[in-house]
Amino acid sequence: MTIRARLIFWYAGILTVSLLVIGFGTYQEILERFHHEHRREPTEHALAETSEMVFQVGLPAILLGLLGGWWLTRRALAPVTELTEAIKKIHERNLRDPLPRTKNGDELDRLTEVFNGMLARLDDSFNRTHEFTLHASHELKTPLTVLCGETETALRDESLSVAERERAASQLDELRRLARIVYGLTLLAKADAGQVALKLEPVRFDELVRDNFADAQILAEPQGIRVELKGCEEITVSGDRHRLRQLLLNLADNAVKYNQPQGQVTMSLRRADGAAEFTIANTGAGIPPEVLPRVFDRFYRGDPSHSPTVDGCGLGLSIAKWIVSAHNGTIKIESMPDKITTVTIRLPLAQENKPHYEDMH
Amino acid sequence: MRVLVVEDEKKTASFVRKALQAEGFAVDVCHNGDDALAVARTTPFDGIVLDIMLPGRDGLSVLRQLRERKNTTPVLLLSARGEVNERVEGLNAGADDYLPKPFELVELVARVRALTRRSGENKSTVLRIADLTLDTVTHRAQRGETEIELTVREYRLLEFLMRDAGRICGRMMILEKVWDYNFDPGTNLVDVYIRRLREKIDANFEIKLLHTVRGTGYVLKETP
Repeated sequence: MTIRARLIFWYAGILTVSLLVIGFGTYQEILERFHHEHRREPTEHALAETSEMVFQVGLPAILLGLLGGWWLTRRALAPVTELTEAIKKIHERNLRDPLPRTKNGDELDRLTEVFNGMLARLDDSFNRTHEFTLHASHELKTPLTVLCGETETALRDESLSVAERERAASQLDELRRLARIVYGLTLLAKADAGQVALKLEPVRFDELVRDNFADAQILAEPQGIRVELKGCEEITVSGDRHRLRQLLLNLADNAVKYNQPQGQVTMSLRRADGAAEFTIANTGAGIPPEVLPRVFDRFYRGDPSHSPTVDGCGLGLSIAKWIVSAHNGTIKIESMPDKITTVTIRLPLAQENKPHYEDMH
Repeated sequence: MRVLVVEDEKKTASFVRKALQAEGFAVDVCHNGDDALAVARTTPFDGIVLDIMLPGRDGLSVLRQLRERKNTTPVLLLSARGEVNERVEGLNAGADDYLPKPFELVELVARVRALTRRSGENKSTVLRIADLTLDTVTHRAQRGETEIELTVREYRLLEFLMRDAGRICGRMMILEKVWDYNFDPGTNLVDVYIRRLREKIDANFEIKLLHTVRGTGYVLKETP
């Protein structure tokens, strides 16, 4: 029950009780007067007169009071409703924008002020976490550069035995994996801090998909996986070419990595509800339902027993999600374990340029 | 060929110097921006490897100063910040190439090589190594008398490797030149393409030309 309804009920109750008290008082008063005047049957007359007063004056007064009360509570609680709407819109990225204040110094205004203070503190701590990740990934790069460089230099040493060479090469592989993780971390940290600018331009998405299809076929070949492109409509989206290619390759790579030998990958691009809809589906073990909501989380891998042989940086889908969101699109993933896993991305279409007829003769 | 390396991190400067020297470059090293500007004023270099984050005057400012003085020495920027925006900023400031840290030495060497390559070198339209020929006009590839069918991507990969024949080519540079990816996609795309290319140009021939250099990259040459 809302505060307003509760207040109105209480208010109606109080008014009714006061009416009863007034009615009882009036009844006593009239009764006494009738006794003085030595009327016949004073009780009945007094009761009739009282109830007449109560019904003709008291009840309308109560109704009027209730109406007034309803209006008053509405007025008093309106700022709360506004506050609720404003708070609903708060998310991680707009913590900096304070809630609008009435500045009239009342309790709600004070509440808003305190709430804004809390937002500022939250924003501060979010920023500090972002900055920490950003600085950490920068700081990691210098020692990584030295390690990679020195290991590579060591590998060039002709006097190395086969075993030593193998060990150095294996170390270098791991160092490069580390470098990829740091790269992904830096990218996401920068994206969180709003420091990655996308170069948006009209991009023929179907061409990128076709390119990606060719690469996916090559990637899939060693495991005997079949790749199919089921429909590729001509679609122009507004996007950053490099990022979109990164996104597509990332998804194709996943579809091959998490597949089974002799499996299948199916892609399609079509126009749907005013958006470009790209789907990529793959066979394979799939993702258990309890893991599904968290696959976009950074470094989340679910039950390690599901993907023991797959190596990656654990940030691929987080990066994919960021790229899609940065293009004002959506990404979703559905999975029927041991059957098929489908990733669907939807990107807004580029503003169609209408042809100019004025210049035509 | 004389190259200036400007890098404040001593260990990085040291292995970069070694790697470039191994490639036959004469290498000078500076640890800060002001020294670099002073040295570049008096000594003509064929290329400069310039770290962006330097104590005092940073790399971008050094680069702008150089270009203001009409110094056109090719510059390869190195950066630990490594983001597309910075790449664009660097290229706008007059850099010729950009390499994010951590980089692979092979990449760095290949880029410096490309930077300092004199124009006119390797302009021939038919590339040749052993009995493998590639016509860059007709896109025809032949090994001996045998015609080799190549897809567009395979052709571009082979052309890239043949232009740098005898030298190790790193994965990132291949991705950049053949696929136009300026990020590390973290896939084994290059390895898979190399395997296919190897099947086409090497599988049926006794002398193998395309070799993998464990941990660093690929090289096209006659002797392993």
